[in-house]
Amino acid sequence: MTTTTADSGELGARPTGEAPGGKGLKSGALGLLSSLVIGVASTAPAYSLAASLGFVTLVAFKFAPAVMLVAFVPMLFIAAAYFYLNRADPDCGTTFTWVTRAIGPRTGWLSGWGILVTDLVVMPSLASIAGYYTFTLFDAKSLAGSTFWVTFVGVVWIVVMTAICYIGIELSARTQVLLLGAELVILTIFAVVALTKVYTQHIAHSIRPEWVWLDPFKMSISTLSVGMLTAVFIYWGWDTAVTVNEESRDAKRTPGVAALLSTLVLLAIYLIVSIAAQAFHGPDFLTNNSSDILNALGHDVLGSPWDKLLIIAVLTSASASTQTTILPAGRSALSMAVHKALPPRFGSIQPKFLSPGFSTLLFGLISVVWYVALTILSPGIVLANSILALGFGISFYYGMTGFACVVYYRRLLFKSLKNFLFIGLAPLLGGLMLAAMFVISIFYYSNPINSAKSGQAWFKFIQFNVHVLGVHLFVKQGVSPILVIGVGLLVIGFPIMLLWRVGHADFFRRSREAAASLHASAPPLTPGVLPVTD
Amino acid sequence: MAGDIILGYDGSDGSRAALRVAVTVAKAFDAPLTVVFGYEPNPMGGETADYKRQLEKIGSDMLTTAVSEAKALDPSVAVEPLVVPLRPAESLLQASLERDARVIVVGGSGERPIVGAILGSVPHKLLHRSTVPVLVVPAPEE
Repeated sequence: MTTTTADSGELGARPTGEAPGGKGLKSGALGLLSSLVIGVASTAPAYSLAASLGFVTLVAFKFAPAVMLVAFVPMLFIAAAYFYLNRADPDCGTTFTWVTRAIGPRTGWLSGWGILVTDLVVMPSLASIAGYYTFTLFDAKSLAGSTFWVTFVGVVWIVVMTAICYIGIELSARTQVLLLGAELVILTIFAVVALTKVYTQHIAHSIRPEWVWLDPFKMSISTLSVGMLTAVFIYWGWDTAVTVNEESRDAKRTPGVAALLSTLVLLAIYLIVSIAAQAFHGPDFLTNNSSDILNALGHDVLGSPWDKLLIIAVLTSASASTQTTILPAGRSALSMAVHKALPPRFGSIQPKFLSPGFSTLLFGLISVVWYVALTILSPGIVLANSILALGFGISFYYGMTGFACVVYYRRLLFKSLKNFLFIGLAPLLGGLMLAAMFVISIFYYSNPINSAKSGQAWFKFIQFNVHVLGVHLFVKQGVSPILVIGVGLLVIGFPIMLLWRVGHADFFRRSREAAASLHASAPPLTPGVLPVTD
Repeated sequence: MAGDIILGYDGSDGSRAALRVAVTVAKAFDAPLTVVFGYEPNPMGGETADYKRQLEKIGSDMLTTAVSEAKALDPSVAVEPLVVPLRPAESLLQASLERDARVIVVGGSGERPIVGAILGSVPHKLLHRSTVPVLVVPAPEE
């Protein structure tokens, strides 16, 4: 092991293209368990189920388990893109830097915007779940039913989590393993108890699981697409399992094995819980209680006080998920600033805590404003609007990641069958599936009858009625809030990009790159570093 | 290279007080002084390559200041900066092993035990885990 030594004169001057951590003292190489824990904890199974199970059922009804299963396919394909692109360039800008390299700076900028917007859209759902489940933990039913108090705790939650990310408080690896382990055990117990009761007792509206619940071909393409757009959310964050360990280059096998294991863990837990939840009281119960699904079910399945365990699992899971939203949001903005796609202020680092201070605090602030605004605009259905809209952002930037992989490695696609499958076909198919879901869902939600609160529409002056390729796109009385949040926020990135471009043309002048090898690190997107600190 | 004096430096008041003591100790033992800056972003936040380059720049700037301060105190002491991509306590432990260190010198955080409890105090971790003596220098009173 060599040591990072440097004279004061040449410190920081590293040969371009060398990954940090690839040299010098052992740079926090993560073991298999840590990679696995980070991947699964980032995905946050208990929170994901609490937030989305009801809404997937709302769209796909009894085929929700099938949708959960199938939604994994595009995410798996895109994970291959993450794995290979991360090899070349492990910048925290991820999709932003990769798309900029492969497709071009304008598309890259919009992808970066997509990451930031998607991180923002998920925040109200995290905050409202945190607020609601905190009150149910203490049996404060009237407070849990109060929009004001749930929002109040939700705002406190965002503030505290932002502070944690700003200051850089971390749980020890062992604590993380314990929390995640507890989360998975509690979810498993919930599912096993629910299924046991279904088979041995007479539960109201219970139905025994059927294989047909797992058959995606029983749905229309539209239902499947819209359901998947909601369900991709439960796998969101899973890609960290394949990327996070890449820097420990001696452990070449770890990321692959960690990804495989975390896949099995996640698929198993999502399937067993969604089947058990549906079996216990039937799908109608899930759609009627979509905003507090695990609380409502937990009470009936586990009984008091054991149902509190499930609530605690949702809260610890939401805490992990909030952190794995705020940290990457701050870092994406930092990366965009470092590469001159955002003002340098966004790249500033807090000197004491060494976090991307400005970006992190600003993201927290905007999250609070957005959460409160959304609560005022759509009280009672903040969770529904956020979760149903979220899939648009995820599909957009994950899809762009898939396309970027194919384009970036375009000269290597046909060098071997393995190349063709893993850096060509899989990312391309993943991207196309996500794009199809994105477009079909726009048509679906263009009808306000499909809004979270049926008929609810914003911007009522917008009215049009067109046929595109035989599909009816009509907006009679304004736009569904889901479309405004999911697609509108992405779209306003375009004028903002044009505004930023004025006077900051440097970033937009770069030319496209193509990888010369599958194993080489790309040189930094932008040479040099920003001279800024807070 | 052996018997180094290892100094943890992060630009804080405590670490600057520690620097003055470390120079004295290095002089007394006629040992080289290694000034260490350690950092490691939370892996929960995903990838970090460009972020780390920024941090490394901050660290190396900080150490440049530390080295010139040490040289100003006593030009005869050999001072070497070392940026380590690990959390602060880990980076000092690692450096102490590599350099077969005589002692690790760090600044205390003063009368702020709660801050230490929340953030995880570096001296506290070192006292438990270091294989070489640890010298904690109190931060100057305000």
